[in-house]
Amino acid sequence: MTTTGLPIADRRTVRGALVGLLRADRRAVTVVLALHTASVITGLATPWLLGRIIDAVVAGAGASTVDRLALTIAGCVVAQGLLHRWAQYLGHRFGERAVAGLREDFVRRTLNLPVSVVERAGTGDLATRSSTDVGAVGNTVRDVVPIVVIASAQLGLLFGAVFLLHPLLGLVALTGMPTVYAATRWYMRRASDAYLAEGAAVAELTDALTTTAEGARTVEALRLTKARTEFGTKRIARVWAGRRRTLALRSVFFPIVEASYALPVAAVLLAGGYFLSRGMVTLGGVIAAALYMQQAIDPLDRLLQWIEQAQRGLASLARVLGVGQVPPEPRGRAVAPEGRELVVRGAQFSYSDGHDVLHGIDLEVRPGERLAIVGPSGAGKSTLARLLAGIDAPRSGVVSIGGCPVTDLDPAERRRRIALITQEHHVFIGTLRDNLKFAAPDTTDAQLLSALDTVGADWALALEEGLETALGDGARELGAAEAQQLALARLVLADPHTLILDEATAALDPTTARRTERALAAVLTGRTVIAIAHRLNTAHDADRVAVLDGGRITELGSHDELIAANGSYADLWRSWHG
Amino acid sequence: MWWLVRCEPVRVLRGALIGTLWMVGLSVRPYLIARAVDDGLRPNNHTALLWWVAAIVAAGVALAWLGIMRHRTMTFVREDATARSAAVVLRAVSRGGAALSRKLDAGEVATVGGSDISTVSAVLTITGPGVGAIIAYAVAAVVLWSISPLLALFVLLGVPAMAIGIGPLLRRFEGVESVYRHKHGLLTARATDIVAGLRVLAGVGGRGLFARAYADRSGDLRDEGYRVGAVSSWIFAGTAAIPGMFLAAVVWLAARMTAAGEITVGQMVAVYGYVAILVVPVWFFLEGGYQVIRGRVSARRIIALLTLVPDGADEAVTTQPPGRPSELHDPATGLRVPVGKLLAVAAADPAEAIALADRLGRYANTDVTWGGAPLGGMPLAEVRARILVDEHDSYLFAGTVREILHIRPDLTDAQIAAALHAASAEDVIEALPQGMDTPVAARARTLSGGQRQRIRLARALLAEPEVLILIDPTSAVDAHTEARIAQRLREHRAGLTTVVMATSPLLLGRADIVAHVRDNTVVAVGTHAELTETDDGYRALVSRDADIEEVAR
Repeated sequence: MTTTGLPIADRRTVRGALVGLLRADRRAVTVVLALHTASVITGLATPWLLGRIIDAVVAGAGASTVDRLALTIAGCVVAQGLLHRWAQYLGHRFGERAVAGLREDFVRRTLNLPVSVVERAGTGDLATRSSTDVGAVGNTVRDVVPIVVIASAQLGLLFGAVFLLHPLLGLVALTGMPTVYAATRWYMRRASDAYLAEGAAVAELTDALTTTAEGARTVEALRLTKARTEFGTKRIARVWAGRRRTLALRSVFFPIVEASYALPVAAVLLAGGYFLSRGMVTLGGVIAAALYMQQAIDPLDRLLQWIEQAQRGLASLARVLGVGQVPPEPRGRAVAPEGRELVVRGAQFSYSDGHDVLHGIDLEVRPGERLAIVGPSGAGKSTLARLLAGIDAPRSGVVSIGGCPVTDLDPAERRRRIALITQEHHVFIGTLRDNLKFAAPDTTDAQLLSALDTVGADWALALEEGLETALGDGARELGAAEAQQLALARLVLADPHTLILDEATAALDPTTARRTERALAAVLTGRTVIAIAHRLNTAHDADRVAVLDGGRITELGSHDELIAANGSYADLWRSWHG
Repeated sequence: MWWLVRCEPVRVLRGALIGTLWMVGLSVRPYLIARAVDDGLRPNNHTALLWWVAAIVAAGVALAWLGIMRHRTMTFVREDATARSAAVVLRAVSRGGAALSRKLDAGEVATVGGSDISTVSAVLTITGPGVGAIIAYAVAAVVLWSISPLLALFVLLGVPAMAIGIGPLLRRFEGVESVYRHKHGLLTARATDIVAGLRVLAGVGGRGLFARAYADRSGDLRDEGYRVGAVSSWIFAGTAAIPGMFLAAVVWLAARMTAAGEITVGQMVAVYGYVAILVVPVWFFLEGGYQVIRGRVSARRIIALLTLVPDGADEAVTTQPPGRPSELHDPATGLRVPVGKLLAVAAADPAEAIALADRLGRYANTDVTWGGAPLGGMPLAEVRARILVDEHDSYLFAGTVREILHIRPDLTDAQIAAALHAASAEDVIEALPQGMDTPVAARARTLSGGQRQRIRLARALLAEPEVLILIDPTSAVDAHTEARIAQRLREHRAGLTTVVMATSPLLLGRADIVAHVRDNTVVAVGTHAELTETDDGYRALVSRDADIEEVAR
């Protein structure tokens, strides 16, 4: 099977999405920006007032002037605090709203992905996107964006203030910016990859430790201690190398930027001295400008620290949005048929790497019939099951139910008619009721309990909290057999007329498998059943047996007919019975 | 923790030195600006101004250099500590063995590996700058004192008082945040849960319900976020406004003094700068104290993991294992494992079979004798080397298939191929896109149950133990494959002792001897054919397996 990754959104889509976010909440964004600007402006008043105080003191003003100006500073601080609070609060609310929208959208789109796409991409990629990437986008939108916006606003206003003091002084203040800009560009080009590599190395190390602990008994049994230590040591070395690489980047970036911070202050003082002697500015003005520049270090520092984080957030956003670029599962084209006959005509199938699996399958399954499919591993049994369930479409030929191609049915309609049961089962986080009800939303509690009873899930009926019992993730964990019974109860509720069983119990240990199969028998009555048989007795009791070998049906008939035909099935049956 | 500090005294010392210089260096710029104002700007002395400005630029460069050296030193200290801690944890985890699985869960190891190590390492980084902070504080105190004792007292006491006042506010913010983080974690778990269950949803339907449920919870989290915002915004505003008010007070005091002619204008500007800079070391103490507390908790968890005693390490060795292949005897059931034969154990209760395997392999307290001597008194390492119990779900580590199978360095490709053949696993390799070099995730989740089982079997065969005990080695494979494995397993292990716990007639039929265990006792011994003939209970057990398998009845 080849892996076709999920798409990643391009820059334009990401930019569009960001603009969309801002636009959707235009009023909030405007208010927040206005409040922040007002807050920063009041913040700037302190150095300016300090300059005024100095001028006043130099001019020989008395204590009362000083008192008055100091009181004004205090007033500005309070005003700034209030503005700051409201800007922060409203900004936070906006961020929360935006993030909530993004993640809900992501989950909705994920739920609409066609199964075949999910399977090709693997759930690993999607899981990373749903946890790490959605989280990173959340942090960026909620925390990083405000910091970057505020820092930029502060910088803009600080430099603006210096320009106001004197335009030439403002120009002088810009010295130091070119080196900061160049160093930042240099750093940003390399930083993302280096930090991603570092993060990956750390994750690998944690993984190495965790899996070694998980498999501790196997390590002891197979005496893998040395191998595991070596494996982990390699991971430690890789983390060290990753850290060295990022440190090397910082070793260039930090000193250049930090050294540049002194330049504007120095330049303003020097030029200020010159302007002062010409009488173009006051002493207070120069000092205020120097202090502004000293103050600008802090937001500049913050901006540079977070900008890299923001870049990573954008990369995550691109991955989150990428999910939305997969065309959703197509709606059905055909009207759902009444008939229940499942017919396969000349079905061929090959995976996208060109590896042929099925070479022309012809098969008719009558309503209510039990058909067993047997054959060696790799014969294409599971692939046939997927074609029958309409998850994949044959490359040529057709699979139809009641005369209508299964892939033309609306997915929801198709699921109501045909269910595919595999070894995989999943217990969702939530109550027992949540775990059943999604299969049939309109059912009553009594029906849910009766479904549990049908599959022999006595444990569920004995639960103290009944249907309210929380399952999964730290709450009650279900064993494999219990989980499989839950899956079967869902089937009883969904009530499809055709069931395809793909080694539904093969991954369970034998005890569990027996209990599950007993439950399964209860579900099968009155339905068409196609069972990929794993034990020959299943085949023995089926109405007909199909032997699949090398992508072709080589034998087809009842158990007795096949024994009489003396083919490969008969051979196997004899060896089974020793 | 002290062990880590002792591991690299030079670096820690250098960190302390550079950290000190850097913090002191921070207070240089306000001083230089003050001098530039007093000596250069006010008297309109251009030469003096030029010199002071040059000094500012030079100090900036020097500070940047100190800053990065400090950062580098501390990063090395931290990373060295991380690597050392990770190495000892790794060693502990690797030799922990079965005891580890019993006493710790993997989540704990993940916490230790993921965050505890870095928390402890981070504590080390405060050793250097911690010293620096004290000295920087002292230097600022001296300089301020020389300007004005009154101002110095006000600033030196006021800054810590302010920091101590803000500290609890920030802690409170962390408290509010942690509730939010927790809920956020739950929501993320839900999204991941939905992703993991996508195939189930595709099979049964109900997507809309999940989308709505998720949206509801996401909305709850958003409202929780609003609440966090309401509190945190006050805290943020407060943490900015309180220092602002303090600064205003200092400016007022200094300005009154300047007006009264007690200090110069430049000194007043310098005081303004010192207040801002003193915040750095003071914050440092607060943060450092908090980190030490967290670090101690983490260190305790790491030590708990390190002090875990592996099985057998503290047990007395009373007997030596037999020199040549010998019979294993389990007095509890009366089972005897004959040397060099393929023995199948058909147990009515699978749990009894697993307990029996644990006794034979000494994974539990055991009365089993080996060659007549008690197995429990023999050195564990040698028992492990000669007897292998391969569980039904023995762990498959992440790596390429070749790496998974290559459990000993001296294995040849031919040996691996032979084991794969015996386990009838060649087609597993063929189906993988890059054959033996295909990477497989931990627990081999990407493979099917049957494929996993055959890889496990091949791996167990490659260990070539004197005694191999397999638990249900073919429960997940189809009948065709099972028949092949039964035949090939017998050939592969010819002359060696093999025990198979199973109830499948295909496997039992190929065994030299079959023992029927019921109620923890061997009730019959013989070949499969003999037992089927004479033992009704056995026939029922083996065919019951078949009966229950009847899915289609």
